[in-house]
Amino acid sequence: MKRIIEGSPLIPKIERGKKIQVIVDDKRIEAFEGETVAAALLTAGITTFRHSQKNKEPRGLYCGMGICYECLVTINGVHAQRACITTIKDGMRIETCKELKL
Amino acid sequence: MIGSYELAVIGAGPAGMKAAITASQDGVRTVVIDSFLQPGGQYFMQAPVEYKPLGQTQTEKTGKELIQQFSSSPLTIFKGTLTWGIFKEENEEEWLIALFGDSETKFIRSKNIVLATGAYDTPIAFPGWTLPGVITCGAALILLKSHRIAPGTRAIVTGTGPLILSVSAHLLEAGVNVLAICESNTILPKGIGHAPTMLSHMHRLKEGAKYMNVILKNKAPYKTGWSINRAEGNDHVEKAFISKVDKKGIPFLASQVEHQVDLVVSGYSLTPNTGLARMIGCEMDYQADRGGWVPSRNEKMQSSISGIFIVGDGAGIGGAENAEIEGQIAGNEIALRTGHINLKTGQERFQELQPRLRNQKRFGKLYGDLFTPKPGLISLANDDTILCRCEEVTLGEVKKAVAMGAKTIGEVKMITRSGMGNCQGRMCEHSITGAIVKALSAELATFKTVGFNSIRPPLHPLPVNFLAEVQKELDVTE
Ligand code: FES
Repeated sequence: MKRIIEGSPLIPKIERGKKIQVIVDDKRIEAFEGETVAAALLTAGITTFRHSQKNKEPRGLYCGMGICYECLVTINGVHAQRACITTIKDGMRIETCKELKL
Repeated sequence: MIGSYELAVIGAGPAGMKAAITASQDGVRTVVIDSFLQPGGQYFMQAPVEYKPLGQTQTEKTGKELIQQFSSSPLTIFKGTLTWGIFKEENEEEWLIALFGDSETKFIRSKNIVLATGAYDTPIAFPGWTLPGVITCGAALILLKSHRIAPGTRAIVTGTGPLILSVSAHLLEAGVNVLAICESNTILPKGIGHAPTMLSHMHRLKEGAKYMNVILKNKAPYKTGWSINRAEGNDHVEKAFISKVDKKGIPFLASQVEHQVDLVVSGYSLTPNTGLARMIGCEMDYQADRGGWVPSRNEKMQSSISGIFIVGDGAGIGGAENAEIEGQIAGNEIALRTGHINLKTGQERFQELQPRLRNQKRFGKLYGDLFTPKPGLISLANDDTILCRCEEVTLGEVKKAVAMGAKTIGEVKMITRSGMGNCQGRMCEHSITGAIVKALSAELATFKTVGFNSIRPPLHPLPVNFLAEVQKELDVTE
């Protein structure tokens, strides 16, 4: 999963927001202001956001628009936040595969 | 004090924005609640505010103009705010609308409501569809168009409808190798009958042609009458198997082809997002060609409940232009009812919009004829395929529930817990209904007889401490 750098007719070039840093599962990753938590995780190569409760199977982004609840992660200690609709902030602490209850 | 309005619009996509613009400019005291941070909805999706675009597409430009008009209209907007409940006591005139978002406001009141909640990709369950790397068209387009992120390197796109073409073209331009685009319907014989309608929608043809050009230039195969039938992988999708499907949607496994992938994008047309309409108790009707369960409405877009209007894709799939016209009709009707315009003006405007609306309905008919997902697609799932992602209920468990005597989606829900999780059944209703219909085919079960999941507040899961605060606030105001 890569950030698109060059522009094209359907996806015109864009200048991203400021570069920021967040901590994901104790690892430092780079992101850009304006990105969602999901976008930042995916570009860092993290695609399993949680494990399902019963079968412990990997789950990640699915609907991308806040309605399926598959992308739940823990943000600054608050569980079950939807990565796909949460805007990332400098210094955020994100944990994958933790508690699934709000 | 709870703020009181003459109109509350839920959703700021093309339909909601247009309803709000129309009504507020006539003087209707209007509030808009949108779950996203920026207006536009899925169709006029914007890049994050922190980004600086160095160019824009035609759709972005059209969207910007509408958003500009919306933002400069005299109305109140709650962005990034979920509407989790709509309530009314029998003898009251106003609805109580419950909000959850950054703002302190937890409730507002309004006499009239326009629901403009849009639609989402109809999920079809196949073995492996819960693996990371399998995403919907909506998710792919948000990553590509708004965040400028290529969600993979080698992809299969599967589903039905124009969205899979749009996704494929965007993927290709982002440098993703699109190995196959599987359109589960066979389009041609039926499509020809719709040629005249097509020609009156030249701009749409042009948009489709633009995507097709990118697809042809990159030699990505567009296969009609094909679908994914299975995905495999450990922690991420690694393989996708595609095959021909017959007219009912049942796969011919003999034609199966295997692909190494790290991305599967799936979107079997769209399903109207009708959660709030169901919660309020609006009368619903099953219309497969309009996306499934849709609210019944009169010509002014009012639901079976007085004061509740429903517009755009959330009332039946029709596209952005249809959504705008419907929004305008509802906004106009509410301006009339609240006494901000007179009967003559109201009627004139309503009449003026009719030819355009009819033209859109013809297009909607064409779309439904060509791109309704086939019920046989449920046969992609095996007995151990998960249908309900939240509660991890498999097809086998649903069949068992039916064998125990369950005949409706509600009864299957009671036995298996399907549809009781966070998404309130949005991701599984189509597949579970399909499974029940198939299991009870001897009894002539249909999507209508199986019914729909009833929805109770809260529409979205809420933090426990928030609910406690809500209780406190209600105690004070009552
Ligand atoms: S991916 Fe569906 S809610 Fe986030």
